Amino acid sequence: MISLYWLQCGGCGGDTMSLLGTETPDVPTLMQSLNVDLLWHPSLSNLSPAGQEALLADLKSGARPLDVLVVEGAVVHGPDGTGMFDAPGGRPRKDLVAALAGQARFVVAIGTCASFGGFGVGGEIEATGLQFTQSKKGGFLGADFRSKSGLPVLNLAGCPCHHDVLGNVLLALAAGAKVELDELQRPVDWYGMTVHQGCTRNEYHEYRVEEEDFGEKGCLFFHKGCHGPLVGGTCNKTLWNQRSSKTRAGVPCFGCTNPGFPTPDPFFETRNIMGIPIELPMGINRAHYMVYKGMAAAAAPERLKKRITEV
Amino acid sequence: MSSTRKITDIPLNRVEGDLEVRVEHGDGVITDAWSAGILYRGFENLMIGRGPLDGLVMTPRICGICSTTHLMAAVRALDAIAGVTPPDNAIRLRNIALMAEHVQSDVRQSVMMFMADFANPAHSRHSLFEQAQQRYTTMGGSSFIDVIRETKKMLEVVAMIGGQWPHSSYMVPGGIAFEPSQAHLLQCLQIVRGYRQWYERRVLGCSIERWLAVDSRAALDAWLEENGAQRESEVGFLLRFGREFGLDSIGRGNEAFLSCGSLDLPADTAVSGSTRQLVAAGVVRHAAAEAFDHEKIAEDVSHAYYKKALGVLHPSAGETQPHVTEREGGAYSWIKAPRYDGSSVETGPLAEAVIERRPLFLDFLAGPGASSLTRQLARLTRPATLLTAMETWLGECIATHGAAIITGDGRVPDGRGVGLTQAARGALGHWVNIENGKIARYQIITPTAWNGSPRDEKGVRGAWEEALVGTPIADPDNPVEAGYVVRSFDPCLVCAVHTVKRTS
Repeated sequence: MISLYWLQCGGCGGDTMSLLGTETPDVPTLMQSLNVDLLWHPSLSNLSPAGQEALLADLKSGARPLDVLVVEGAVVHGPDGTGMFDAPGGRPRKDLVAALAGQARFVVAIGTCASFGGFGVGGEIEATGLQFTQSKKGGFLGADFRSKSGLPVLNLAGCPCHHDVLGNVLLALAAGAKVELDELQRPVDWYGMTVHQGCTRNEYHEYRVEEEDFGEKGCLFFHKGCHGPLVGGTCNKTLWNQRSSKTRAGVPCFGCTNPGFPTPDPFFETRNIMGIPIELPMGINRAHYMVYKGMAAAAAPERLKKRITEV
Repeated sequence: MSSTRKITDIPLNRVEGDLEVRVEHGDGVITDAWSAGILYRGFENLMIGRGPLDGLVMTPRICGICSTTHLMAAVRALDAIAGVTPPDNAIRLRNIALMAEHVQSDVRQSVMMFMADFANPAHSRHSLFEQAQQRYTTMGGSSFIDVIRETKKMLEVVAMIGGQWPHSSYMVPGGIAFEPSQAHLLQCLQIVRGYRQWYERRVLGCSIERWLAVDSRAALDAWLEENGAQRESEVGFLLRFGREFGLDSIGRGNEAFLSCGSLDLPADTAVSGSTRQLVAAGVVRHAAAEAFDHEKIAEDVSHAYYKKALGVLHPSAGETQPHVTEREGGAYSWIKAPRYDGSSVETGPLAEAVIERRPLFLDFLAGPGASSLTRQLARLTRPATLLTAMETWLGECIATHGAAIITGDGRVPDGRGVGLTQAARGALGHWVNIENGKIARYQIITPTAWNGSPRDEKGVRGAWEEALVGTPIADPDNPVEAGYVVRSFDPCLVCAVHTVKRTS
């Protein structure tokens, strides 16, 4: 039996909504098959007020063991470090985060807000992630935090987190499997590839056939602000709602798994120098890239130049 | 305050966001109520200085439940600034995704949030309690699991049109970002048909046509007794369980209703509406209908923690816990109090039904008045008014595949615009100013701001505050009645509450 407590902080609930879309075949069956005892979820539980208070008291004291703490939404520190912008019962919720994180075997941040702070970093609510503030390690719990299992916070980034990621991580924890993490503490199984991989516009990217106007067949990277080649994520490998992804629907990737999301730069625009994006695909040398793209554009087949190939 | 009255803060979950409801009660009845949004996220201020299209990416992330609705409001504001009307198929494909969000939300909220309390031990002496436990126990009940399985299929429609649910940004100024393939549109149609069949079989227990023929309270009673399928359906169970418990006599509210209208009709379509929209705009106060005019909306902050009140909190914030006052007259919520022409109004499916003059709901208002049961019935049966139009519009998109999906170049000049639409839970508005190519102002009024607002400067309660007054409260430690009243408005808040009792 794996006990799981789901805490919602400064967020939109979108990670919960995303999770409900998982095809496993469904969340209750997933929980049953993994023998998860869902102690509390703000949208999915039915516990009297008194029961909830007693549960929290038992968890905080350690009288009742907590295997997995899932935190959705950013830790809110404002105003002036008090946390009173998010204060159920007049008590800053961040205090509850600290108390439960100290008791849990595993601490999971679901979504970019819980992982890195997301919306509200540097804003009025003084948001941080659990163990990061954007890409800076530390966050609310501190760089050295380890849960009782010895692991740091598992960051399941994304806005929202892809619906299949949490279930898979629970599967790994239940199986006692090692969850390999990248430097941002995200599982490499889900964040070790780029969103660009598997994009159906890949050929258009390869030969630099660009989309300038909405609705065209073309690559969204050069003009529409697509972050697909810049960020890790499973969106084009494991489709959304079993069906599609933003880039397949003509919407640029906004880089929501990245610690800097949302960046201050305008969305739907690519910042560029002489027509070449300032931010290039991960790990690429600029001079080589310019030569390569020039040659690639010259080599583009007619079916792409005429935008015949479907995306 | 009489010596027997108590103040209780009521914990409610299974809503979206953060809320505390404080009630004053005596002799087992709620005598006054204060509703407090307890989370401030500062979203409107995050928008200032950003790129003109950024509302399309930022504002869906205000809400995981109604992200498509925020996208619709955001893009309508930009359409208005750019002065563009989207082509017919863009209108259809915007509408279809929004309707998909609504028809899954209406059923999820009804079964997983509202009816889940039918399995609460407070009902252990109810004649239907065992069945209720079998159906609605969270994470295990048969209806609970069935609803998760079926509703997520409907969200595949949003993914095929917009890439993902939640948090897509596929609506762009003048239209949509890309036309789905014909294969995807055919699959969307198949999913909507499948959902309709499930909805008819399990939720209504009859065809949509049969349900829409129920046009009075007497006809509803006859429908309920007509056959076992209808009695055992989700709607049938809601009615039978709710009536025995008395949900039809609580949660009346102020009976002032608002809809800002939604779902523009394409120029050339077989779908008809009473106006140029499928869901009509309007206001009904004291049973009198009037036209909706967004210029008559004003936000009152007399009891909300904004500006002046925030300034008061800051200096002592390190030590005090100022966020819920114990006296009437002070600020107690992060929600502003929108008022329509000075009135506190409710919004949502019941408001839509009243404004569209649906006979069944007018009969309730003319008779016993609004109630939590009537409000929830309006929500659970609203998909019956949307699914047929979804099928028609998908068919029209397939028949005209390849037609334009955007007007203009997708860019937005400086200017001011308003984007209005109906979320699953009621009226949503975005007010946007673009200056010098950047967002200079972004103001949002959500359905829950209407329904869950605090008092205004005249002391008039928000809609569910008013609906709580007079509600019985049998057990302050497990106040299911108050939960039904608040959840019948489909709050977009997670309610978290402690319980403090004091006798004064």
